[in-house]
Amino acid sequence: MEENDMLLNEQAEGAQPEAETPVPPETKPKEVPIPGAATPEELKAYYGNFRYAWGSFLKFFGFSSKTHRASKKRAKLVADIATYVVLIVGAFFMVYPFWWMIAASFTVTDMGGGGSLQYIDKLIWWPIGKEASTWTASYNDKAVGAFYNYKFFFTTAFENTKQINVTYWRALLNNLIYSVVPVVVGVITSASAAFAFAKINWIGRDVVFMFLLAAIMIPGPSVMITQYVMYQDMNWADNGLVLIIPGMFGSIMTAFFIRQFLFGMPTSIIEAAKIDGAGYFRIFCQFILPLAMPAIMAQGLLSFMGCWNNYMGSYIFISAGSSMINLPHAMFLINATLENNQGPNIAGAVMCVLPVMILFACFQKLIIGSLMLTGSKE
Amino acid sequence: MEEKVTLNTEQSVADDLFVDSAEGTGAVAVAAPAPAKPKRRINRAKLQDNIWGWLFCLPLIIGTVWFVYIAFILAFLLSFTNFTSGDVDLINAVFHLGDYIHTGAGGAFHWYRELFTYNIPAYGLVNARNEMGAYLFNTVFYMIGIPIGMILSVFFAVCMSRDIKGGNVFRVLYYLPCVASTIAIVYTFKILFAQDGLINTILGIEVRDGVGLAWLPGVTAADSAYTWNYLIFHDDTDKYILSQFMVDPYWCHGIISKCIIIVMSVWKGLGGTIILYVAGLSGVNAATKEAAQIDGANGWQIFWKVTMPDLYPTIFYNIVTSVIGGLQIYAEPELLVNSGASTNTSTNTSGFVALIWRYGLTGSVQNYGQGAAYGIFLAIIIFILTLVQFWLDKRNSN
Repeated sequence: MEENDMLLNEQAEGAQPEAETPVPPETKPKEVPIPGAATPEELKAYYGNFRYAWGSFLKFFGFSSKTHRASKKRAKLVADIATYVVLIVGAFFMVYPFWWMIAASFTVTDMGGGGSLQYIDKLIWWPIGKEASTWTASYNDKAVGAFYNYKFFFTTAFENTKQINVTYWRALLNNLIYSVVPVVVGVITSASAAFAFAKINWIGRDVVFMFLLAAIMIPGPSVMITQYVMYQDMNWADNGLVLIIPGMFGSIMTAFFIRQFLFGMPTSIIEAAKIDGAGYFRIFCQFILPLAMPAIMAQGLLSFMGCWNNYMGSYIFISAGSSMINLPHAMFLINATLENNQGPNIAGAVMCVLPVMILFACFQKLIIGSLMLTGSKE
Repeated sequence: MEEKVTLNTEQSVADDLFVDSAEGTGAVAVAAPAPAKPKRRINRAKLQDNIWGWLFCLPLIIGTVWFVYIAFILAFLLSFTNFTSGDVDLINAVFHLGDYIHTGAGGAFHWYRELFTYNIPAYGLVNARNEMGAYLFNTVFYMIGIPIGMILSVFFAVCMSRDIKGGNVFRVLYYLPCVASTIAIVYTFKILFAQDGLINTILGIEVRDGVGLAWLPGVTAADSAYTWNYLIFHDDTDKYILSQFMVDPYWCHGIISKCIIIVMSVWKGLGGTIILYVAGLSGVNAATKEAAQIDGANGWQIFWKVTMPDLYPTIFYNIVTSVIGGLQIYAEPELLVNSGASTNTSTNTSGFVALIWRYGLTGSVQNYGQGAAYGIFLAIIIFILTLVQFWLDKRNSN
């Protein structure tokens, strides 16, 4: 019996095609029937009706059994559907909070008096629901309609927060300055360093590279105190230079990734340019920057997003009263004054997230591609 | 060209130096019968290489040395002093920091001693306990998220790297939380997990009639009473049962808040690791996979025996970076649970970095020395952990 089972297993997987020829039933009446070769009656007789039915059920979902052999096409189809279901459920959990944010930003929370979270708390898909009459009624009072929370955030919320001395537009401008200037300059300095590390032979190159790479080992929080003291002493803190100048020196991680990219580029271009009499500076500007543009862009966009969301930098180094605080920092300070009127707060969160989302949507291919390159290199 | 030639003759001394140090040029000189001209050209090229190599790297070197290495060395020196915000500028004090060396108990190592010996006084339900222990415990607790995130992201990455249409769309959707600002996400989660919030409504969690569970105590004053403690330890008259279990083991305080912080960090970090794993999976040898398939291995076996070993470097890299990042957790607990809350909540949920922040950068007198010492301690922990991880990696691969 055990031998028969083994034989069956081998046959079921099609490893031995010669075994598939039907064995005459009169010589070996107790032979195991083979799915595909034997008739359904034989299989039913051998395995019983229930097992046969179970097998056909499994076959429908692409699983082979002793009674049925499923097609590979069906197996793939079922697996694909399962994959889609899993991925869509996962994607729902990933995206839903963002959808909820947008819906919540249109919900009435400014109820006067102590305020109320009752609508925003029960919000699932869209604020129109049981309480539709209530919240449309309260919106009819407001000139800006459903965008009341946005208007409140842009104006009243900033005015009501006594600690801060910025308007929304000033905070936005600060955020833009902090995320454009250091990123553009920093990515170019990083690229130049990457070029030197990847394509130029100079004495001490590897030592310097290891020296710089070792700086990653030093965690940010352990130098936080001394950086704070240094920036205070240099008078860089409250005028916002702290979030601009250090970034302009480039970052070793960015340089590292662009270096990886440059390794894949042929050196012959540089050799040819050298023979034509171009200096390194010209080679860098005219060949390396355009050719490494995908990597440079991707790294630049990633650091732009990091700087845009840089709550900690502003929170640590810039005092609340300064006119140079950035948007996340301002949002943090405003949150305390809003109490139960959370609608404007969520509207602010949407305004904080939206620019990077749009940017990411535009350049997702480049960014994801660059991240994939990072992953495959490691 | 002419200009370059004159420059060349001027710098012939330097050129000769490079000839001595470089074997390659010497070989060229021997091979060529008329060595004068090519030799010089190569030398000049070498000089150019060196000048431009250093020049191109200079900004990055200056930046790294200034903002990281000098800052780190200063932090190391400050950690032995009693330097505070009340003293003169650091620039004036830096060359005679010896004057500021701490004279309290433990001498120069006062702050390190303080770190290990200071106990938080008992208040409320909490007994006195070591401060560093409490905060480090929170930090380590948050690392539960690392294996959870790893398993989830490998699972989703395997799904995405199947041969299906629209895999790229999913990659983008899953990466969205990574792009979003922490503060925006925190405010969203705060309302979602509020006492009357969506999560309580959907899951139908009620502590008692019409009162939901306070996932994040301290968000509003009204929330604070009905925490998980109430859910488990209350009798019919709505009184807390003050069991020893509640009073003593510090790990149970604020545990639901901690779990939500883990949920949020996993949710936010998933997309990035998924992309790393998808990239790692695309590097898995397809031929090996096919061979395994022909040999009759099922999908499960192929995953463990073929895919996972190839994925191992990515997983290792990911673990190292997550552990290093996890030790530096600060913003999430502070924003989600502690904003404006008492030290009690802070002790229950804050990471170790909160200590550096609290002692080094807040208060009427900011103890830079103390903050620096705690920072150095964190750096040492991270350094040791990294070494251990690399040692394990080496032992594993042997």
